[in-house]
Amino acid sequence: MLSPDVLLKFISIVGPERCKTSREDLLAYSYDAYVNEFLPDAVLLPKTTAEVAEIMKVASAQNVFVTPRGAGSGLGSGSLAKQGGVVLTFSMMNRIVEINTANRYAVVEPGAVIGEFQRAVEKLNLFYPPDPGSANVATMGGSVVMNAGGMRGVKYGVTRDYVLGLEVVLPSGEVMQTGAVTAKDVTGYDLTRLICGSEGTLALVTKVIVRLLPKPKTKRTLQAIYNRLDEAGNTVARIIEAGIIPATLELMDKTIIKSLEDFLHLGLPLDAAAVLLIDVDGEPETVEKQANRVAEFCKSQGARDVRVSQSEKENEQLWVARRAAFGAIARVRPTCIIEDATVPVSLLASAIKKILEVGERNRVQIAVLAHAGDGNLHPFFLCDHRDKEEMARVERAMDELVDYAMSVGGTLSGEHGIGIAKSKYLPRQLSPASLSLMRGIKKTFDPQGILNPGSFLEHRP
Amino acid sequence: MIAKELKEEVYKCIKCGICLTPCPVYNLLRFEGASPRGRVQLIKKILEGKTELSENFQSLLFTCLLCETCTANCPSGLKTDRLMKAMRSEIQERLGTDWQKRMLGNLLRDKRRLPFFLFCERTRENLFSFQEGKSGLPADSELPRPGSKTLRQQVPEVNPVPESKGKVLYFTGCATNYFYPNVGKSVIKVLNRLGMEVILPGGQMCCGLPLMQAGGRKIALKNIRENLKLFNRKDVDAVVVDCAACGAALKKEYALILEEMGEDATPANELAGKVMDISQILARSDLGKSLKPVPGRVTYHDPCHLGRSQGVREEPRNLLRRIPGVELVEMAGADACCGGGAALPWEHPDVASAIGRNKIQSIRETRATVVASGCPWCRRQIGENLGGEQVRVVHPVEILAEALGET
Repeated sequence: MLSPDVLLKFISIVGPERCKTSREDLLAYSYDAYVNEFLPDAVLLPKTTAEVAEIMKVASAQNVFVTPRGAGSGLGSGSLAKQGGVVLTFSMMNRIVEINTANRYAVVEPGAVIGEFQRAVEKLNLFYPPDPGSANVATMGGSVVMNAGGMRGVKYGVTRDYVLGLEVVLPSGEVMQTGAVTAKDVTGYDLTRLICGSEGTLALVTKVIVRLLPKPKTKRTLQAIYNRLDEAGNTVARIIEAGIIPATLELMDKTIIKSLEDFLHLGLPLDAAAVLLIDVDGEPETVEKQANRVAEFCKSQGARDVRVSQSEKENEQLWVARRAAFGAIARVRPTCIIEDATVPVSLLASAIKKILEVGERNRVQIAVLAHAGDGNLHPFFLCDHRDKEEMARVERAMDELVDYAMSVGGTLSGEHGIGIAKSKYLPRQLSPASLSLMRGIKKTFDPQGILNPGSFLEHRP
Repeated sequence: MIAKELKEEVYKCIKCGICLTPCPVYNLLRFEGASPRGRVQLIKKILEGKTELSENFQSLLFTCLLCETCTANCPSGLKTDRLMKAMRSEIQERLGTDWQKRMLGNLLRDKRRLPFFLFCERTRENLFSFQEGKSGLPADSELPRPGSKTLRQQVPEVNPVPESKGKVLYFTGCATNYFYPNVGKSVIKVLNRLGMEVILPGGQMCCGLPLMQAGGRKIALKNIRENLKLFNRKDVDAVVVDCAACGAALKKEYALILEEMGEDATPANELAGKVMDISQILARSDLGKSLKPVPGRVTYHDPCHLGRSQGVREEPRNLLRRIPGVELVEMAGADACCGGGAALPWEHPDVASAIGRNKIQSIRETRATVVASGCPWCRRQIGENLGGEQVRVVHPVEILAEALGET
């Protein structure tokens, strides 16, 4: 519980309207898109860096826990007040500060929604590639501290590859700049990249500088339709092996296809075992050629049909569908736990096979979605969190999948982060030396341990 | 009591957050309690008995336009709007009604009180004003003058045509009847021109939608039953409405609400099959070649209750395109709620007008001189927020009636 004295101090910084303590408001900040719920003691909605700094000065002086939050679309309780204290949410710091066309960079506040930012730069013929499935929900700040990946990872990389610099508030309340607006910068340790992916444990990001690309002139979306899931998986590995680099290469199995069709009625092939959703982008001539090449390639690998979208609108609809996959799957079962293990892409087909085996053995319904092009699997474990026995089976299946990913040189999490969802597996991938170094870094930034307590490094199940 | 099936709806919310960005209220207020996802969470906690129907909860629940944007965007198909409507009525049943809503109930379920109230309002004595400066009613100039006649007093109950090609019942709704009789006259004129006999059944009541949205399902039952009795007739070709909200009530809400209340919805479903928005009936009709030009740059605003509720989007636009002289220009976000829904201008006037300003901005960018919209509440909201600007707000059918000329 926060003392009335501390609350008054917070109110004096943000005013009573933006310091929320009613039970209803706390309940509305007790969740993210994962299953656990934690009730904060207060919710603060700052509007400026100065306010954030003042809040942290009070918090550090009074030893109050602070957990940063963007849109609450995370998948591991990263933005929840796991040990109480304050949730500091950036939803009101959502301005696009600058889009610099001459030097191709932009400065945004952390609460700006990724999709809205993307559309704003695209109006100026620029392009911000990182594109998590939740881009129309998630915020720029959230995507930076989680180092979000997404659908264009195969060609364009992840958030880390676009962040040039940050303005952050340290747990002490001190404001610090990292990086620069220039494309090259080797001055000192790369604190930008350290904070990117730190899951909100090191500092509060209050401004983000990202580099932009020229917008690709044209884009085509292909749907390759398969009667067998393994053939779709094989195609992916072969495409990458052949040196073709599509902008996106997504795999959806029949359960996902059906729930998306139920939602949007786009005429997706309900009798297919899998669909690969493939984007190629670039200059019109190259795109044309590449689209044909990919289509031929897919057919030679067993695709029964390849549909090429005919218009920008059709492209858009398919991607609206793909983005809705996580939500749409709730049509099947009320709870969905997403695994995020990532394997070398050549192993994609055998990884999918493994997933199905694991599901069957543990009697867990699993739907398979994957950012296939970079080996980033998203098996959806479909369950009902109210059923304890079923949840135990889900947990066992997850354990087995982690075992598998570790055994083939994969990673625990490709892009969703560790949070509390996967912290118990952390020692499986990180050596004691590595963990100890990470804890040391955390201590250097946050000696009191007030920022996002209970997060991945400390969590002991 | 909230129906069992609806209670299970809350578990469909996987918290993906897709409803946040499109929600006009969340977009403005930017805190989670004002978002559909937040309200669903709170309703879940109430249904599970983990929190109370507090005043703060009620305020959050009513900080909502019931514009159905969340329902339309929800990938898991959660009927967010149904849940919120049912919860509103749960509040009324459990906690009773505050005086403002009780008064609304008294006005709308009685055939005589509303006109009396409106005339008093016109005198601006603020005898019954719901709220200082914001009555939630149309602009002063549109209120009926004492002694002036309503639409149904001005036109006969039966409007026959020689060589009738069909017979339709016309549900006028309160807004057209009391505030915008010209819309009603236009509807009758246009339908008559098309060779249709138009009947305005006497004794028709408020569709009840404002009551249901305020949570007064039970008191609205009288309106529903009475209207079903008058309009669910086998001997007519269609039941025509010009008001998006009335149309949504007759086509959708009656049946859903009766079902959710465990009542027999058969007559409501029968009626639903016959109800047509005026733009739908005109879309199938030959308007002839004798239309005279009505020059103007027109932009069309989709009322939530017509676009999202009824799926009628193209018909009004096509109607406008067929009128010579009309230059139809799309505004950005034409289907975004104008902020006039679910009595928000009355519950939270500041929120409603801030949302209204976004709509006005989109309208300005089109440089249109006319805004067409088939909903009196949108008309009121847009008109009021336009203030002194030289932009007319009309019902599409009024432009058509103008194009048809005299007689």
